[in-house]
Amino acid sequence: MNAIDTRIDTAIRAAASAIVLDKVSKSYDGTTQVIPPLDAELRAGEFTVVLGPSGCGKSTLMQMIAGLERVSGGTISFGARQVQDLEPKARGCAMVFQNYALYPHMSVFENIAYSLKVAGMPKPLRVERVEAVAKMLGLSDLLARKPGQLSGGQRQRVAIGRAIVREPGVLLFDEPLSNLDAQLRHDMRMELAELHRRIGATTVFVTHDQVEAMTLADRILILNKGRIEQFDTPKAIYHHPASVFVAKFIGAPPMNIVPVTGDGKVLRLADGQVLAECPVFGDYQLGIRPEDILVGEGPIKASLRYREDLGSHAILAADLGGNLLRIATPFGADIGVEANLSLTFPPLRLHLFDAETGRAIPGAFSAQ
Amino acid sequence: MVENARSLNLVASAVLFLGMLYILGPLYLTLTTSTQSYEFMLRNGLVWYPGDQFFTNVIRIFSETRIPQQMANSMVVAVGDAVVTCVLSFISAYALVFFPVRWGSVVFALILATIMLPLDIRVITTYQVASNVLSPINALLDVTGLNGLIANVFGAPIAFEWSVLNTHFGLIAPLVAHGTGTFLFRQFFLVLPKDLVKAARMDGAGPIRFLFDILLPLSRPSFAALFVLTFLGGWTQYLWPLVASSTPNMQTAVVGLARLAPDMEGVMPDFPLIMAGAVVVSIIPLVMIAVLQRYLVRGLVLSEK
Repeated sequence: MNAIDTRIDTAIRAAASAIVLDKVSKSYDGTTQVIPPLDAELRAGEFTVVLGPSGCGKSTLMQMIAGLERVSGGTISFGARQVQDLEPKARGCAMVFQNYALYPHMSVFENIAYSLKVAGMPKPLRVERVEAVAKMLGLSDLLARKPGQLSGGQRQRVAIGRAIVREPGVLLFDEPLSNLDAQLRHDMRMELAELHRRIGATTVFVTHDQVEAMTLADRILILNKGRIEQFDTPKAIYHHPASVFVAKFIGAPPMNIVPVTGDGKVLRLADGQVLAECPVFGDYQLGIRPEDILVGEGPIKASLRYREDLGSHAILAADLGGNLLRIATPFGADIGVEANLSLTFPPLRLHLFDAETGRAIPGAFSAQ
Repeated sequence: MVENARSLNLVASAVLFLGMLYILGPLYLTLTTSTQSYEFMLRNGLVWYPGDQFFTNVIRIFSETRIPQQMANSMVVAVGDAVVTCVLSFISAYALVFFPVRWGSVVFALILATIMLPLDIRVITTYQVASNVLSPINALLDVTGLNGLIANVFGAPIAFEWSVLNTHFGLIAPLVAHGTGTFLFRQFFLVLPKDLVKAARMDGAGPIRFLFDILLPLSRPSFAALFVLTFLGGWTQYLWPLVASSTPNMQTAVVGLARLAPDMEGVMPDFPLIMAGAVVVSIIPLVMIAVLQRYLVRGLVLSEK
């Protein structure tokens, strides 16, 4: 890292500002709300991943933060500044697009320098800045090339360079890895994490890929139909999902959810089998992660339907009183192909959800 | 398909050859005729072998006819048509594609309608308008009854008059009103990545900067293709220049060529002179195609990365 590099790093770190969304809403036709009023606070320098299925409003949310879409209501603040009525360039944020959106007729240098040129920065200063960014991203040898002559990963890096060259306080990523193949995606993920550690920009990263979310995020904001399902650290989201939606969205394979009935002492399946002890009455949904189920001696009986061997572990698909139950067996476990399984559900690994709202009921099992 | 390739190729080549004969035959006859003298033609008719009078004929074209002046007119009309069409098409396609224009699709449909109603069909009405560009205002004054009022007060109705017949502007303007270019640019803009506009906005470029810095350089092949096509169209126009220009000095070369044949009955036209004129007049579009054909193909393919 040379001197100029460090200067860009520190400039971005200094510019990083918190993002506060206060009752931000979006409606295209005035009647149906794509995003109902939404509150969130993204801390300065934090890497926030906005995660959700397609059509959940996550791209709309990002474009409102960027200034490409107008908000229908509420305010967006970067630090102490309200920005919801400002043009993108006035907000001090930069964006990396899904299909790069590089200017095809400009060289890598011109692509990265374009925003500086528009801003009227003198040429010597421009050259210095672009060269520093190119060096940071390993693009120094490619500055004269056109985007058409670059590989996918290189184009991605140019897009990132174009975003950080202005030293933005807020860095936005719109599903930037979805066009890359699996290997490159993995590499770029590491590069992005590394970059964030170095420049410390407030980062918002939109994706529908839970692996990207889990590996990159300081905190994950899970969006469903424009509403925040949960906004917490990856660890908390994995261990304490706030709703059935989150529970099913995070983890591969997803958490098992089975309908149960409580009689004040135990939770039973519809066919009467007892799954766990819990002093509640009424209908609930019981969740347990495939990797938390113990196979071997145990009180719970299920029949094996199908088995997938993945080398490191196996995924069993079993029938539990008419419900599909996925089980991830640990490495080296030798599970035969016998039709009947005996399972144990460790109580501390269980999650209880309201049958109607799908919200988690905290402390249902830990209290025991 | 693959196993029949040889016989198919033979048939295709034969068809192609016949087509070439059909097109090149008359062209060849044009060339040979242009090299004969008038007297030779009167004696022998049109012949299939060349003579030695070509340069004499060309010199006569330049010294005895108005073709040079008319070629200059053609040049003005063709270049004017091409330049104005390119600019207008580019701007209108930009508005239609990148801005939420109210009734945008209706506007586009109207623009497309000009392709289905070419100038040749509406030549009479176009002539009427060109003979008095302000006639719609007169009609409006009549219909609204304003003119009646004016006639009552001042004693006579108002009738505006501004004719653009027999002017270069009058020759060019009706040719420009044509939707092909808008269609070409629109299709090109639509295949550009949507995020390009957003990226430019994030970089701080407004609509005008985006137009000049991003869109214009990317559209260069489309511009070249459209320029060549409209230039050729303008150069070879016959009907409109024929009716819109009344003096030989304002006529275009193609019209001038037709006028070289005398109107009198029983006089044999000077075909060698006319054919030499045709050759001279064809040279400019030929050069145009030779120089720009590279762009012509690239601009029409649209899929340039």
